[in-house]
Amino acid sequence: MHPLKLLRSTPFRLALAFALLFVCAFLLSGFVTFNLIKKELDARYDSHTKELFQVISQTYVESDIQDVIDATRTHIAATTEKRNIFLLQAADGRILAANIPSVPVPDGWSTRPGGDFGIHGDFTYRIFAANVGADRLIIGTNNEETDELQEIVVASFGWALLVVIALAIGGGALIASRAQRRLDAVRDTMGRVSHGELSARIPLLGRGDDVDLLSNDINIALERLSIVVESMRQVSSDIAHDLKTPLNHLRMTLEEAALKQSQGQPVAAELEAAMTEATEIDETFEALLRIAQIESGARKSRFSSINLKVVLTSLMEVYGDVADDAGQQLTADFEANSGFTISGDRELLTQMYANLIENAIRHCPSGTRIQLSLYRNGDKVCTVLQDNGLGIAHEEHAKIFRRLYRLEKSRTSPGTGLGLSLVKAIADLHGVEIRLEDANPGLRFVMSYPPA
Amino acid sequence: MRILLIEDDSRTTAYVMRGFGENGHQCETLPDGQDALYQATRETYDVLIVDRMLPGLDGLALVRALRAAGTMTPVLFLTAVSGVDDRVEGLDAGGDDYLVKPFAFSELLARVNALARRPPAHAEVTKLRVHDLELDLIRRRVVRQGQVVDLQPKEFKLLEYLMRNQARVVTRTMLLERVWGFNFDPKTSVVDTHISRLRSKIDKPFDVPLLHTIRNTGYSLHAPS
Repeated sequence: MHPLKLLRSTPFRLALAFALLFVCAFLLSGFVTFNLIKKELDARYDSHTKELFQVISQTYVESDIQDVIDATRTHIAATTEKRNIFLLQAADGRILAANIPSVPVPDGWSTRPGGDFGIHGDFTYRIFAANVGADRLIIGTNNEETDELQEIVVASFGWALLVVIALAIGGGALIASRAQRRLDAVRDTMGRVSHGELSARIPLLGRGDDVDLLSNDINIALERLSIVVESMRQVSSDIAHDLKTPLNHLRMTLEEAALKQSQGQPVAAELEAAMTEATEIDETFEALLRIAQIESGARKSRFSSINLKVVLTSLMEVYGDVADDAGQQLTADFEANSGFTISGDRELLTQMYANLIENAIRHCPSGTRIQLSLYRNGDKVCTVLQDNGLGIAHEEHAKIFRRLYRLEKSRTSPGTGLGLSLVKAIADLHGVEIRLEDANPGLRFVMSYPPA
Repeated sequence: MRILLIEDDSRTTAYVMRGFGENGHQCETLPDGQDALYQATRETYDVLIVDRMLPGLDGLALVRALRAAGTMTPVLFLTAVSGVDDRVEGLDAGGDDYLVKPFAFSELLARVNALARRPPAHAEVTKLRVHDLELDLIRRRVVRQGQVVDLQPKEFKLLEYLMRNQARVVTRTMLLERVWGFNFDPKTSVVDTHISRLRSKIDKPFDVPLLHTIRNTGYSLHAPS
């Protein structure tokens, strides 16, 4: 991975921040540990010095310094490399026993560098001074070992720190690059989508972690998007196909009129046909625009409380006579004593049922019985429009809600082929589940409204 | 009738002007909304025909401004914008009617006629009369030549609309919108069916027909001339 890109990566930045935090914690704990050890070592050396002092001073008998001098000399002989220093001095300044020159030292504890006693070396002495009888005894212990220990501790902490930093940054980079790869997969997918490859999906690891959840949400959104785009594409090509044909008809009719005109024949019939064809083209456009408008969902803001029974009763009044004229029978079966208030757009619902009823009237033969039912099923309002006409083949059921889809047998009858697509769009807008069933014989449209 | 057409498409303008001219109406046109606002507030017209999409000032804004200025001349919106929300928007802005392009001139003429001679809103009529046909709005009863004619509620509404617009042409779409509340074009003969039912009740049993079919346009209810 490019270093600059690595620095921009959020996972790497997080890893780096954690590494920094870890190093700080490590330094703090090292400092505390070091000081604790140092304190403990100092205490031990002090007690050792005090012990020596006591051992020597205990040899003192009233007014007899000789034993002390002997003890001091014994200890001086036992010490090597001036690990311990001794100075026994009489009140008049005379040195009785010593391995250092005379140096003034205050009573009690003090710390002096070795150089004060003419000793070379980079270390200090902890010194205890007190009187023994009339004489003065000074004992010191050098802290060379403490210093060495300190150095060892500092060195090992330093190395450990280096390892920690290396591990933190290296591990962070590793983890970060793995996380980055998943983010890159998302970016890559989105890049492909923006370049028109709508079928691209983010690969999921199946771990159910947040990246997976997010990726899944994005995938779902992409799925919806591609369905919408696909249907748009479908519609565009349908329009191209289904409008080209009538446009071509129109053109042919007009050409025929022009030809007849040039031959001095009357052209009124051709012009009338051309007008009808133009109207049909306009109707198809209107229906497509209307469907698009409904599918956009904007009309939901105009929903109000509607009594479905009133809407359907009004439609029965309108279409009862129309069916009658077609030699059919349109009857209503509305459940009494029930509330049928739903939230919706009256105008659109009117059109939805009008389309369904007209569909039945137009495609059923004379003598068909058409029934519109309204009832409650639990908390759902349901309507059923059923006829005992010819019905349609089962394999056509799924297709009839498609835009511009027309059964072969109805290709020649007037109509845009958009009526049922409009029904579907209105049903979807209202959250209505619409189902097509075989009524044996005939068709049955079952629609159930969402619970209020 | 004096009509002002505010429309920027020259072909539509020519088509509409010729139509009104042939029907003996005086039609002036303006292509710009801003100019139209000035003209419509200064002069008196029977009807304004306003395109929704105009240069200068769009149709909606123009009508809002007109209404705000107190000009109550009836307005008919003429537009290619056909969405239902657009229609409602147009009517909310102060428009009185709405016609979508492409349209037949006969449709426009019928609607303009209906607008121009719309009776004042305060005139509360309780009875409508055409020749020997009488409709009682309060008792919801129809009588012709002293005989009570039994009508279905929708037939009554249809007859009421025809009588309120007596001697004028009402088009099929006008009937669909006003009588049945259909803002779409039905694929079955809804209008024909109901007109023929109505005719069989108010005309057939009597010697003089009142309800006439105007070919390719619509219907007209009027007394024999």
